[in-house]
Amino acid sequence: MNATKRSDQIQRPSALISVAIFVATTALMVWLKLRLFPDRYTALSYALPLLICLWHKDRRLLWTMVATFAALSALKDFLIQPGHQPTEPFDFLQWLMQIANIVVVAGTVHTILNLTERLRARNEELHVANEELTARAKEIARQNAELHAQGEELAQQNEELQQQGEELGRQNEELQQQTEELERQSEELQRQAEELQTLNQELNQKEGMLTTLLDCLAGARDEPQMLEQVCRALLDLVGPSGGIAAVLERAGDEIVLRMQAGAAKLSEAPRPFAPSLASVVLEHDRTAFVDDLAARPDLSVPIAAQQRFRSVLATPLRLNGKHLGTVNIYSFEPRKWTTQQFRIIEWVAAQCSLALGVMRLQEELARTNSRLEEQVRERTAHLREMVDELEHFSYTITHDMRAPLRAIRGFIGTLEEQLDGRLDSETKDCMDRIASSARRMDRLITDALSYSRTVQTELRLSVVDAAALLRGIIDSYPNLQPPKARIRIDSEIPKVLANEAGLTQCFSNLLDNAVKFVEPSAIAEVGIRAETHDGLVRIWFEDNGIGIPELFRPRLFQMFQRANKAYDGTGIGLALVRKVAERMSGRVGVEPNGGTGSRFWLELRLSKSNPIESAAPARVMNESEAQNANAGRLALSAIKLIESAGK
Amino acid sequence: MWNVLYVEDEENDVIFMRRAFRRAGVEGWLKVVGDGQTAMEYLSGRGLFGDRLNYPLPALVLLDLNLPTVSGFQVFNWIRQQPQFQQLPVVIFSSSSRPEDRLKAKELGASDYLEKPDSGLDFGTVLETLKRKWLAQPVALDPIAQYSGSLAVTHVPARP
Repeated sequence: MNATKRSDQIQRPSALISVAIFVATTALMVWLKLRLFPDRYTALSYALPLLICLWHKDRRLLWTMVATFAALSALKDFLIQPGHQPTEPFDFLQWLMQIANIVVVAGTVHTILNLTERLRARNEELHVANEELTARAKEIARQNAELHAQGEELAQQNEELQQQGEELGRQNEELQQQTEELERQSEELQRQAEELQTLNQELNQKEGMLTTLLDCLAGARDEPQMLEQVCRALLDLVGPSGGIAAVLERAGDEIVLRMQAGAAKLSEAPRPFAPSLASVVLEHDRTAFVDDLAARPDLSVPIAAQQRFRSVLATPLRLNGKHLGTVNIYSFEPRKWTTQQFRIIEWVAAQCSLALGVMRLQEELARTNSRLEEQVRERTAHLREMVDELEHFSYTITHDMRAPLRAIRGFIGTLEEQLDGRLDSETKDCMDRIASSARRMDRLITDALSYSRTVQTELRLSVVDAAALLRGIIDSYPNLQPPKARIRIDSEIPKVLANEAGLTQCFSNLLDNAVKFVEPSAIAEVGIRAETHDGLVRIWFEDNGIGIPELFRPRLFQMFQRANKAYDGTGIGLALVRKVAERMSGRVGVEPNGGTGSRFWLELRLSKSNPIESAAPARVMNESEAQNANAGRLALSAIKLIESAGK
Repeated sequence: MWNVLYVEDEENDVIFMRRAFRRAGVEGWLKVVGDGQTAMEYLSGRGLFGDRLNYPLPALVLLDLNLPTVSGFQVFNWIRQQPQFQQLPVVIFSSSSRPEDRLKAKELGASDYLEKPDSGLDFGTVLETLKRKWLAQPVALDPIAQYSGSLAVTHVPARP
């Protein structure tokens, strides 16, 4: 179908050419038949031009030409020829043959055309089928190539799988080996576990005994109690058959029963040492046993409740490395003693030795302690006595020794007044020297006492009204009052954190110095003022005195340092001020006062609005403690004083 | 006129104090006893001290601390325990410069603590201090009326 359709479309003959051919052939025939040979029959057949249609395959042209030529033939034969003298007679039959000739040729051509067309169509069909087949062949080839590639891939995978299979095989072998190894180890472990179980049983037994021993060590008040516990612990070794555990001690040639525990009681009477098992054990210094005592009649064995012992296990008991006696276990039946029992009795004996050692040491310690305590009591009492004496001594120094000095100076003064004008200068000088020596002695006593006390006293800090304290000091020391001195308090002085007694000492020493070191003709003038900064109060004492040489300033606050020997002094006052200031977390210093005089300053901590009672951790001393502390301080003061007096 | 009872065992100090009072022209005002026991007897008017004309009650007691048998602090405590002497000024007068003595005196409620001067010649300054701080206002002349039936010291207006 496709092929015919295609041939119709493609092979349709051109109508123009058909018309041209028709016109040309018709004209040729007309010219030949009617003009050239109008009177004759020509050999040239009408059928010849029809053959053109073999080239130009137009059936309409064919049959149109057939019709036309038939008409032409009829025209010539029936119409023209009768008018003319035909050379040849008309023969109807001949015309029919002519027409038949045309029709046959036309039919033949028609048939040939039909055949040709059908062949061509078949050819085209074959061509199409061929193309399809070619395409299919290509497709198959391609699929074939693909399949080939997949086949190669599969082959590769197959190879890999084979390799993995081999690997797995190897691993499997290894696993098998390991499993065998594990099985071996497991067997080994089982063996060890069994051993451990045995050991564990022994340990448990030991542990039980150790607990007992530890309990008795902790709880036992004395040796007998401890030994009794040891014996009870050992009874476990005898087992259900019953027996006695005992601790024996050697005393010279005899064996003494120290402790026993068990089903029956051993006789407590001492036995001779020589034939006993203890002697054998101690001689060889090792654990020994007798399976059946019936076989050893030579050994002496204690008797209990009219029953003879049949077997005994004994081990040496040591104290500090020396043999003390033995630990024995008696059994009423003959028996074999195991290694385990050996080990346990040896171990218990060792623990017992340790416990004994510790106990005897403790007893010794307790005795020594009580002796020491006694000694300490005695010595404390003795010391207390000494301290009391020293305190009395110190008090005497302050009171009684100063009185004569005061008297000396007083009476010298009185003498001078009474003999006024009647004294020669030498005598006057002697009297002055007596007075000043007495004064110096007095100062030395008070200053040395103050200093040593300050060094040792715990200074408790509290809030101190410095201004009130200053006024109090000025009021109670005549030296600080007019006409001898004029002391002004120039600014408000805040409350400070200090020790009142210590601060009193500092203030009075500083003021004393300020009024003392002035030109003999001058009247001391001292200005006191305070500065506050950073929680500190600096109190200045500015005097109009003789000042302090620049070179001496570094040593000014050291003990026994005196800048000017023309003035009375012990060289303790400022050292004391510095010491006290430091003990109160403060400082002291001096600066030159421009022209003359000095500017001393004392720096202390400012008291907070919420006053802190004590900078040091507050510790309240009870009365006896306080007395002790006082006594100690006084004693030391006295000693220092004696030392300084000796110098 | 006011009297000062000076309790002192040290004879030299008594001499110097007498001298100071003599120099001030008031020697008669100084009454001296040598120990604490006597001081208590004086104040309570026992025996001889019942004679208040010769042994008048003092306007102030000047008390040494270091006394034989009965210490100064014991005397002080006794004085404060007597109802009629609770307002009586008692000034401690000691050669001790120990801060603990000063503190103890303050804690017990002593009126003042004066340290003995270094020299016997300077006792005059002590008298000056006493006069300035404690005896500025003269008290009633009648020493007996002074305390009888009354706990408080009777003051008379200052002289114009």
